[in-house]
Amino acid sequence: MRNRITGTIVFVFVGALLCGGCAKKEVVKPEETAPAAQAAPVTPAPAEQPKAAEQVKPAPRPPEPAPQVAETPAAEAPVSSEAPKAGAREQAPAGEAAGEMRMDLKTVYFAFDSSELSAETRDALSKNAEVLKMSPGMKIRIEGNCDERGSDEYNMALGERRAKSAKDYLVNLGIAPDRISVISYGEEKPVDQGHDEAAWSKNRRDDFVIAK
Amino acid sequence: MIKKLLLISILLLLPGLCSGQTYLDIAAPVSGKPQLVLAPSTTLSGPASPEVAKELSELFSLDLGLAGLFDVTTAGQAAPGAPLLLKSAYAVNGNSLVIECRLFDQVLNRELTAKRYSGSIKELRRMGHAFSDEVLRVLTGQKGPFTGKIAYATKVSGNKEIFVMDYDGFHPQRLTNNGSININPDFSPSGREIVYTSYKKGNPDLYRREIYTGAEARISARPGINAQGTFSPDGSKIAEVMSKDGNAEIYLISRDGRELARLTRTPAIDVSPAWSPDGKRLVFVSDRLGKPQLFIMDSDGGNVRRLTTEGSYNVTPRWSPKGDRIAYARQVPGGFQIFAINPDGTQDTQLTTSGSNEHPRWSPDGRFIVFSSTRNGAEAIYLMRADGSAQTRISRGRGPDSHPTWSNGW
Repeated sequence: MRNRITGTIVFVFVGALLCGGCAKKEVVKPEETAPAAQAAPVTPAPAEQPKAAEQVKPAPRPPEPAPQVAETPAAEAPVSSEAPKAGAREQAPAGEAAGEMRMDLKTVYFAFDSSELSAETRDALSKNAEVLKMSPGMKIRIEGNCDERGSDEYNMALGERRAKSAKDYLVNLGIAPDRISVISYGEEKPVDQGHDEAAWSKNRRDDFVIAK
Repeated sequence: MIKKLLLISILLLLPGLCSGQTYLDIAAPVSGKPQLVLAPSTTLSGPASPEVAKELSELFSLDLGLAGLFDVTTAGQAAPGAPLLLKSAYAVNGNSLVIECRLFDQVLNRELTAKRYSGSIKELRRMGHAFSDEVLRVLTGQKGPFTGKIAYATKVSGNKEIFVMDYDGFHPQRLTNNGSININPDFSPSGREIVYTSYKKGNPDLYRREIYTGAEARISARPGINAQGTFSPDGSKIAEVMSKDGNAEIYLISRDGRELARLTRTPAIDVSPAWSPDGKRLVFVSDRLGKPQLFIMDSDGGNVRRLTTEGSYNVTPRWSPKGDRIAYARQVPGGFQIFAINPDGTQDTQLTTSGSNEHPRWSPDGRFIVFSSTRNGAEAIYLMRADGSAQTRISRGRGPDSHPTWSNGW
């Protein structure tokens, strides 16, 4: 399945940037100055007298509050109009930033360690497809999520699989693939913080977010 | 701020203790550990500081007790004739501190090592850990891991940010502060850099960051997932999970993010790569047979074979620095437990039982495994010996804390 993730195209343009930062770069000894001078001649000395000297440069400690040069989101205007507002959105610690609503698009749910679409999920996706057909200019991002039980590393991939599974279904219903981007949040964005099946079943989901 | 300081240490090279000869054979079954006595710390010069003396004593007790090789006691409890004696002395002068530490073999009546450290008073614990590393080096031939740092992800500020702390949980320091989701920290072999994944620009992208300066590069920002970066043992390459070609696959990239190789090609999920210490193989997680299991492949992607056959959900493997064991987490009723298995699939052993335990990572000397656990409520960072003994909480915040990884000594 070919997947076009419009939301991330903008980042390709940006490329890897080395944020040396505005702050003056502090000089760091790159490598430990290991036993530098351990070879001084061993001279007879009183029992408790150290004999050979070894200089150890202590590793620099991390900056107390790390200089957050690199962390401030650079004022990165969307390069193209296709760019979703994901970047801006993620800066907010929680919740939706302005300009994004979930409107009538329905969240769909999954079984544990599964990206299979249940009958109920397919019904909801069909309704979402109708919404998209009525708003031909609308682009969406499908956000795949998992419950906390699986491995978070594996769940990163499982969340993406869930999002793509929903995308494939919508495309089969006639929605143009370039209207749909996907992203996985793994188990990092639970809607219910609980630790039981009632919470988990709400967290194994795809959210549908209007990207533009 | 950089603390310009100088640590001066003194090492006595004794004629009787050549390389390869050790006082303790850690592989042998322990029948009565040798006693190691901590003498009360005294002043070299200047006024006595009970705080310094107490902190040193507690630090040595913790480090050397965790090592599991000695019966560590303080001088008051010492049986006469204890084979090992650790003496320390300090001089506090304003904000500067000098510490001299010596280890004696009282049976052979000789000094095994002596070191002198000087620097800021804030470096007290670092100096003490450096001598603990040295004690293990002298007695076993392999230095301790106590000057290594633990990087981890914590939600203490509401979202997951990357922090580093001392191996024993002291001095937690924030590395990221972007309000987004930051996960999967992994140290370079030098311990001075990490790679991690952040959503701070929307997509899960991989960043390489110089810990000390904060200088950072976004090295992998392909469409989809860019996560779980892990440095090769020589530091020249990074194994990474990307989904740019359709689903989660394992790739090798350069330190600058250039793609070097694609290692997996399946419609299944392939994640969590971890290098063998010689850099010739990787262990990873795949659900190509249905459920997530551990597999081993050559570092060119060839010669894939399944490692785990027990359990229906085995994840997050890490190869031990000696190469003889692979630690991982298995899903069991009620959560995860940490196991270790030989690379040939034998001796699959459960190491934890209390609470749910995940994310095992080895200390750089292979003596310990650091992991996250929910045994006392919120997820926190713990460590244990490689055999599962001495399980000890190390993170001190309210958490939740996860994804620990232990650097080489600084």
